[in-house]
Amino acid sequence: MKKGLPILVVLITCLSLSCGSKNAHDANRIVYWASNNTDEITFARDVVTSWNNESPDKNVIFQPVPEGQSSEEVILAAVVGGTTPDIYSNMWQGDVELYARAGRLVPLDTLPGFMELLTARCDSSVIKEVTSTDGHIYQIPWKINPIMMICNDNMFKSFGWDTPPKTYSDFFKAAAEIKESGFVKGYQTKWIGYSEVIVTWWQRLFDFYPLYLAASGGGSLIKDNKVVFNNKYAVSTFQFLKTLYDNNYFPRERLSSRQDPFLSSDIAIRFTGPWEIVHADKFKSKEFEYSFSPLPVPDDQKNTAYTYGDTKNIVMFTTCKNRLASWEFIKEMISEKGDYLLLKTTNQLPRRKDLTTNPLFLNYLNNNPKMKPFAEQSKYVKGPDSCPVLKEVFDAISQEYEACVVYGKKSPRQAVNDAAKAAEIILLQ
Amino acid sequence: MTKNKKKYKLSPYLMVAPYVLHFLVFISFPVIFSFVLMFNQWNIISPMKFVGFQNFYKLLHDAQFFRSLLNTLIFLVIHIPLQIIIALAFAVLLNQKIRFIGFFRAAYFLPVVVSGVVVTILWQQLYGYETGLLNRMLAGMGIQKVGWLTNPAIAMASIAIMATWKNVGLYIILFLAGLQTVPRYLYESADLEGANAWQKFRYITLPMINPTMFMVVILSTIGGFSLFIEPYVMTGGGPLNSTLSAVLYIYKEGFFYYHMGYASTLGFFFAGIILFVIIFQKKYVERETG
Repeated sequence: MKKGLPILVVLITCLSLSCGSKNAHDANRIVYWASNNTDEITFARDVVTSWNNESPDKNVIFQPVPEGQSSEEVILAAVVGGTTPDIYSNMWQGDVELYARAGRLVPLDTLPGFMELLTARCDSSVIKEVTSTDGHIYQIPWKINPIMMICNDNMFKSFGWDTPPKTYSDFFKAAAEIKESGFVKGYQTKWIGYSEVIVTWWQRLFDFYPLYLAASGGGSLIKDNKVVFNNKYAVSTFQFLKTLYDNNYFPRERLSSRQDPFLSSDIAIRFTGPWEIVHADKFKSKEFEYSFSPLPVPDDQKNTAYTYGDTKNIVMFTTCKNRLASWEFIKEMISEKGDYLLLKTTNQLPRRKDLTTNPLFLNYLNNNPKMKPFAEQSKYVKGPDSCPVLKEVFDAISQEYEACVVYGKKSPRQAVNDAAKAAEIILLQ
Repeated sequence: MTKNKKKYKLSPYLMVAPYVLHFLVFISFPVIFSFVLMFNQWNIISPMKFVGFQNFYKLLHDAQFFRSLLNTLIFLVIHIPLQIIIALAFAVLLNQKIRFIGFFRAAYFLPVVVSGVVVTILWQQLYGYETGLLNRMLAGMGIQKVGWLTNPAIAMASIAIMATWKNVGLYIILFLAGLQTVPRYLYESADLEGANAWQKFRYITLPMINPTMFMVVILSTIGGFSLFIEPYVMTGGGPLNSTLSAVLYIYKEGFFYYHMGYASTLGFFFAGIILFVIIFQKKYVERETG
């Protein structure tokens, strides 16, 4: 027992220490979490190293967001456990309202010079988009990955299409031609496109939502805590997608666990973001050519198509002890130099209004022509609406999407109506 | 002497301490906390709000939860008999004196130790509507393609077949162990009486392996009730919620939408159902076996 006791004491001490917070907040250092993908880790390291060299008295400690099923879950766990960083740079815009209402985020508009900086960086529409329902701003629009249509140029050219389809009618025409060409011994082997046929709410961010934004010119789903998507744009989007499934232009089966159907030319388009460039360039064959186009719109829609921006923003948690120094660091991160580093290192677009006019960014885009359509599109992107129960609203839409679009159990009008009613009940709770 | 006494007093506590600690932290605390949550509304990041019996009221009016219970029941009705019949049949075969018996026993057990996610992805490929191996085989025989995972009427049955394939190896081993406890002389005396193979199986084997049967039924019922990975990975609960199991629904309520109070209520209610079914099964088997 004499020998056992010290071992027990050591074990208990180790356990207690390991249970303690790694991010013990102190006023002399700033803890910064970034996304844990390789490129963003490189970016964050470079920014932090440069900052620490120039400001040794305001030391920033960088850490990639710890591994988990998703960064959202990790942040939630950190909030509950009180181990949040001071600054987090990969916050999904749709989550901000929830954390803001729970009093976990610093209202950044109370910091000196915040509004001046934001006005210089973003258009009024973006500022409005990131303003919370209580009138404060808890996030800095940082980066976007606009959802566009990646197109197999070889496939479209082989059918005599010089440019990918722009309207719903053109899309159906191309879809019919591709379907006809893809029958081998009675099997359909080619489709115009594919979207994951799962009912999980976030999947609608990559099919229904961007197409709804394209059709409605950037319309909202929820405004001032009220449902506003019960309109002709949502109906036409449901109708468009339903036609694709009804005619087998999109497959109902899941293709996600097999070889990439886009690179193997089984599908001609996919709704996706700029992250696809690295993947496609790495795995495509030499002859395979692809490009990016705006999303298809209803035939009578003449304006530039809006899309979902997959917006990720910077937030400061209320556990932050040194808010002014943290704000100084954030300013450095979103400076022209910081944004250029982000673009260069990660191939993700900073959300700033001079992206296509500033020579620094223009130079990069000219050298990386595949990124140019995304930069052009960046003027027409929208993030998710401010709503603390947004995921549940998307789930309600997703349930109706599956019933109407994929399995044809309801008409688009009925499905949109039912989704709106369900969303209204969710908002009331 | 005093030292020794002290040693004997402390040692047992130290021995059980790791388990007790684990039990308190990972089982007792969550159960007690969930019980408290049943009467509260809590989205994890905001303070808890006492709501009395509101979560129970919501449960009674939640059509989707009852749909998920029905789905789970459908799964059990297909999965348990299928699993028992196949496991018993293979166990009887593997109980014979045949060549490569060790190889066959290992081969049938292999899917049990393969990760559920891997098995699910593999079967997703087999079940593909246009590109899946099963439909290609059916088409080759001139039979119409089947929407294994896209037809709401059969998607749960497809999942039950896959789950049976994955788990049957474990039950084969259990049955095999049961079969090997049956005394040989019973079969020998039956032979002398002129019993055929079916009669020996019906009147000797089955009654003798009743305790194993009971264990298999209980284990596969509990396993079936906790259906989660298969629909989560394969179908996400679709098509049209036809594979939304009760556990998947509870998980979604808790970890997608952070309705922790409501998810706890659903969890306790569901645990109550499982307990009821197990007690019923136990009583039934006890009555049957005398």
